Parts: sequence; structure tokens; C-alpha cells
Amino acid sequence: MQNQSNVPVIEVKNVKKQFGDYFANNDISLKVESGTIFGLLGPNGAGKTTLIRMINNIYMPDSGTITIFGNPVSEDTQNQVAYLPEERGLYKKQKVIDQLIYFAQLKGVEKSVAKKRAEQWLIRFDAASWANKKIQDLSKGMAQKVQFISTLLHEPKLLILDEPFSGFDPINAELLKEVILELKAQGKTIILSTHVMEQVEQMCDDICLINKGKAILQGNVREIKKSFGRDTILLEFEGDASFILDNLMLKVVNQTAHRIELKIIDSSFDSKSFFNELNQKLEVYKFELVEPSFHEIFIQSVKGNEVEIG
Amino acid sequence: MGKYTKIKTIIAHEYLSKVKTKGFLIGTILGPLGLVALLGIIVYISMNFGDTSKKLAIVDNEGTIYTELIKKDSSLYYKADKNVDALKKELQEENIDGYVIIPEDILDKGKVSVYTGGGGGLGLISSLEDNLTSIVRVKRLERLGTDASVIDLIRQEVTVETNKITETGEIEEDDTKAMAYVGYGLGFAMYFLVFIYGSFVSRGVIEEKSNRIIEVLASSARPFEIMMGKVIGIGLVGLTQIIFWLLLGFGLLTILGPLIFGDPDSLKTMTDMAEAQGGGMASQTQGMSIPGVDFTLILGFLFYFILGYFTYATFFAGVGAAVDNEQDAAQLQLPITLPIILAIMITPQIMNNPDSTLAVVLSIVPLTSPLIMIVRIAATNVPIIEIAASIAALIGFFFFAVWVSAKIYRIGILMTGKKPKFSDLIKWIRTA
Repeated sequence: MQNQSNVPVIEVKNVKKQFGDYFANNDISLKVESGTIFGLLGPNGAGKTTLIRMINNIYMPDSGTITIFGNPVSEDTQNQVAYLPEERGLYKKQKVIDQLIYFAQLKGVEKSVAKKRAEQWLIRFDAASWANKKIQDLSKGMAQKVQFISTLLHEPKLLILDEPFSGFDPINAELLKEVILELKAQGKTIILSTHVMEQVEQMCDDICLINKGKAILQGNVREIKKSFGRDTILLEFEGDASFILDNLMLKVVNQTAHRIELKIIDSSFDSKSFFNELNQKLEVYKFELVEPSFHEIFIQSVKGNEVEIG
Repeated sequence: MGKYTKIKTIIAHEYLSKVKTKGFLIGTILGPLGLVALLGIIVYISMNFGDTSKKLAIVDNEGTIYTELIKKDSSLYYKADKNVDALKKELQEENIDGYVIIPEDILDKGKVSVYTGGGGGLGLISSLEDNLTSIVRVKRLERLGTDASVIDLIRQEVTVETNKITETGEIEEDDTKAMAYVGYGLGFAMYFLVFIYGSFVSRGVIEEKSNRIIEVLASSARPFEIMMGKVIGIGLVGLTQIIFWLLLGFGLLTILGPLIFGDPDSLKTMTDMAEAQGGGMASQTQGMSIPGVDFTLILGFLFYFILGYFTYATFFAGVGAAVDNEQDAAQLQLPITLPIILAIMITPQIMNNPDSTLAVVLSIVPLTSPLIMIVRIAATNVPIIEIAASIAALIGFFFFAVWVSAKIYRIGILMTGKKPKFSDLIKWIRTA
């Protein structure tokens, strides 16, 4: 195995995968650096799952190459990867502990080691008392925890988590986030596929946005945001803000009763005079000139891409 | 890490997760009882099918025949308590099944008339003919003043004792009749075991697919390992069960055998005792002797179960991967389940005629052979060449099943939504 610090954890080069006439992945290239959290983003049906399956050696690319720690994807690389699929699945009639051990064994862990690790993680997730319960007797959130634990027992260096937070209540979501950041601190690399853009901003170092089988935006999260410039106004207020809609230099991106996100679409826009106008008509709690949110970047990029494709 | 670690892990998981369930324990205990009960029902039906459930009223104008007839079969004949006109009316109203008029001159002319509401079956007429013939024959002899000892001689029926000559030239008592029933029982057992364990496999595959467990499995092992691991693991569960039953059977035979059947010596003592007690029991047991434990047959059964199960289960795994629920699976499995259903349906014919061309062909053709061959091995002396051909064909077909199913499995297992048609499966086999 090659030196891990220099070699990207994953390197995808010009990968294509076709199902019938449909290109699930059309010439995708990306690199995931060691010790980072990498956001794999894109609308439903963009081709994320296909790419994830190829990284997991479930599908083979039609052309192009994928390497993990410098080695081509194969049965041997499978044991280095952990995969939490978006659609969770556990044996309903089997005990939690038995399944955890089984999945770990399949990743090459000794039974006794798997058992010890499973017990430790169940404690960490406040779930030690479920060890001998069957999955069918657990709530959905509990089963999600078990599934997450099942991905950790072979102590993988790379984790692929597809919508890991779905099904978790806020308290457990916070616990999960803590664990993911802990894993990162231990030097593990994490691929996070999610539709929740706040998570991307909070957790990811780099992202790749896929649409219709192509990578349409990728790079460092900070840099991507910077490249979009401070073109967004975040406004929190009390009062009737409907007059803002008449301002042709601004476009409403996101609006709730007391909060508006506005995008500046005309470069001659004068933010100072707009601020004064607001102060006269509304009670302004917050006025901030910021980079666009990832939510906005996502929508803009995908829509822009659709226009481009025609 | 060893090369086969993953498939071993899968096999162990499939095996242990089945064997540890209550269902396995219950099935192991109730299985033989269920089979015995089922066979009992079948034997009961076939025995009562031979008998007629109809009853005939006897109008005896001769005067001495009816007592003899009723003595022969009191479940079939009874003395008419009405005159002929009344009987005719009763018959029209369907209150009675029929009546027989025995003329005064039966001993001279040898003719009787039977009246029924139509039908009654051939069995009814032939038993009436047989019974009357022997009665009339004795009566005629008596009329001629024949000596009682001669009549006794004539009354004695002939029992056929079946013998077979073995390859070494020894003559052994042939237990054809008993062995045919043993074959029938084994055929049934084979049918149920192959189907039950085959459906465990397809159910397991469907569960993993519809619960999306397969995504995790596929990220850990090759589809081929996942499929064959399941087939082998569940097959071992089946073997465990069968071996347990065999041991139980041996145990019971060893402990209870001498009490029930006896070893040859004690059996003889028992017959002597029975005869001494003046019973006809000895002559009843002559027609059907108790077969000894036949190791060739047991080995043959185990062997054909393994081959038959693996072939069917592998197909079931492939088909299970293509669908999302068991109903759809049953439909797509029809082309492979039909042969064995056909086989179980014609097993009685095979039993009666185990050396017919049909029997030979079906015992060599894969899919029917596990069942038909075991019936034949029990019922007749199957030439070694036919067994060899049958095994070769079945093994060849098993590899074909693996080849086909692996392709369907690989594609089907991650395919959701639309239910594939048979033609889709063919396409998958071609493209994969």
C-alpha cells in the first residue's frame, strides 16, 4: 500500500456508467483528500448512488478508474470502506448484537473483536440495553443507530454516509454529528451525501455537486462560497416588508415571516441607501451582507446547469 | 485472511440464524409426525378407494347362499328384509344402493342379477362375482357329495410369496410391496424437503432485497458468495434436520424395534405364539414383511436430496433476486416447479411400474430425477448405469442452475420497482 498522506483517499477518473440508454455517471472525476469530510451533493437521481456503489465495488464502471488509497477498487478495498446506504436495511427478526457481529465479520473482523467493539459502540450511543432485542422491536430511530454502528466496527479509514441524519431526532442527530466529527479528528475520511445544505456548510471541507451524471461544481466549501461573492442580504425584521418585492435590483431567495434572504442581481445596487430605507419602514433586527448560502448555491448551480443543457 | 472467509461467514450466519429459531425446533419435531399423518391419510384414502362403500341387499331364492355371502363381507352384503317390489321402490328413492337376486337354480345355471341405481364401479361387480363363484363352487361340490376334506382343499387360497435373486445368486425374500410404500414415503419426503428448503432460500433472498439489506451485503462480499452462501447454509440446515431424523429413527428402531417387529428369531416366536393362540395373524403378515434398514437407500436419499435441493434452491435464489415479493416469485418459478409437481403426481404409477420407460426417463431427467429415482431405488433394482446417468445429468444441471442464477441474481438483487417478466430474465442472462 502506498503512503497515505500524499495519495488521495479516493480518486475517480473519467468514470462513466450507463444503464441502457441512460448515463447514470457521465465522465465524472473527483478527488477526496485524507482526513476531510467530503460532501457529495446533487438532486435525486443525479447519479450519486451509482457513484457510491462503484466506490463500494457493487457496480463496475463502464470506463474510467476509481482508486482507494491508490489501489483500484476490488474485493480487497471493500474492507477499508464503510457504507451507510440511504435506504437502511437490517434483518428484522435478528438480535441487534448478532447483526452487528455478522456485518463486521463480513468486513473481515474476528467474531470476538466484533463483539467487543459492538458492545462499546452500543454504550456510546446509549443503546447497550438493546443488544439482545430484535430489530422489529426497535423504533425507527433506534434501528438507524444500530445501522450506523454496524458501519464502524471494522474501523474503516473511509466512511461513506448517505443521508446519515435522516430518521434521527435533534438530540440524536447532535450525537451523531459529534461522532462523525470525532471520527474526522481521528484522521478518518468521510463522504457525506446529503440534501441538507446547512450540514454541508457546517461539516464539509470539500464538495462535489453532481447533476444528471456530471460533476457541475466542485472544490473547497469556503472557496466556492467566496467565489460567489457577498451578493446576498440576510434580513431579520418586524413589519410589512412587501415593498422589498418591488425593488428590481433584488431577488428574494428565501422568505419567512420575519426573515428574508435577498440576492443582489444588479451591480449598481447601493446597499447603504437600501439599509436606510429599511430602517425607515421596518424594525430591523439584523442586516447582513453575506456570501450566498449553500442552499442557494445548490439551486443556482443545478438550475443554471439545466439551462445550459437546454 | 483466507480466500473463502466471507462465504464461510455467510454460510455460518444462514445456518445459525435458522437453527437457533423456535421454528426449526418445532419443524424438526413435527415434521415426521406431519409426514406420517399425511401418508396415513393417503393410504387410508387409497385403501377405501379399493373398497366400495356401497351395500347390497341380498334376495336369496336359493336360501343358503346369503349366509355365506355375509360371512365373506358383512360390510358389503346384508339380507333383504323386503320383497323385490319394495326394494325396487327403495332403490328409486335412493334409500338403498342396490340389491342382488339369487335365483333358485343358481347352482345349475350360475347366473345372478344385480340391480343398482347405476354405477357402483367395477370393484363392486368383481367382488360380487368372486364371492359368488367360490360359494357356488363349494355348494356344487357339496351337492355332489364330495368329501369335506376335498372341499377344504379347494377352499384354500393361494398366497404369492415374492422372491428375488440377488447378484450373488442367493434367493432372498422380496419385500417389493413394502419397499414400494417406503419409496412412496421417501418420494413425498423428498418433495416436501426440497420445496420447503428451496422456499426458505427464495424467502431469504427476497427479505434481503426488499429490506435493502443487500446493499450492505454487496458492499462487503461478491453477489455470488452471498447467493451461494445462503443456498449452502440453508442446505446444511436441511441436512441437519434429516440426519437428526435418521438418528432418531435408528434410535427408535434399536430400542423399540425388537418390541414391535422383533428380530427374525423373536418374530418367529411371536408367529408361533399367534398360531398357537389359533389366530390367523401369521397368514396375514406373510404377504408383507417388514423391510430391514437399507443403507443404500438412505445414502441414495441423502445424495439425491443434496443434489435436488441445490439445483432447486439455486434457481429459487436467482428468481427471488428478480422480484420484490413471494407471489411474484412463485409465478416466475413455475417453469422449474412444474416438473417436480408432475413427478409427485405420477409417483403412484412409478411405484406400480418402476421399470417402465416413463419411470426410467423421469429418473434420469434432472428436476424430476431426485424424486423419481428415490422411488425407483426403493421399489426395484435400478441398473447402476441409470443411476450414474441420472447423477451426471443432475450435477450438470446444477452447474447450469448456478450459471443462470448467478447472472439473474447479480442484476436482479439491486433492481427495484417494475416486476421483471420471464423475457427480462432471459435478457439478463444474456447480457450479464
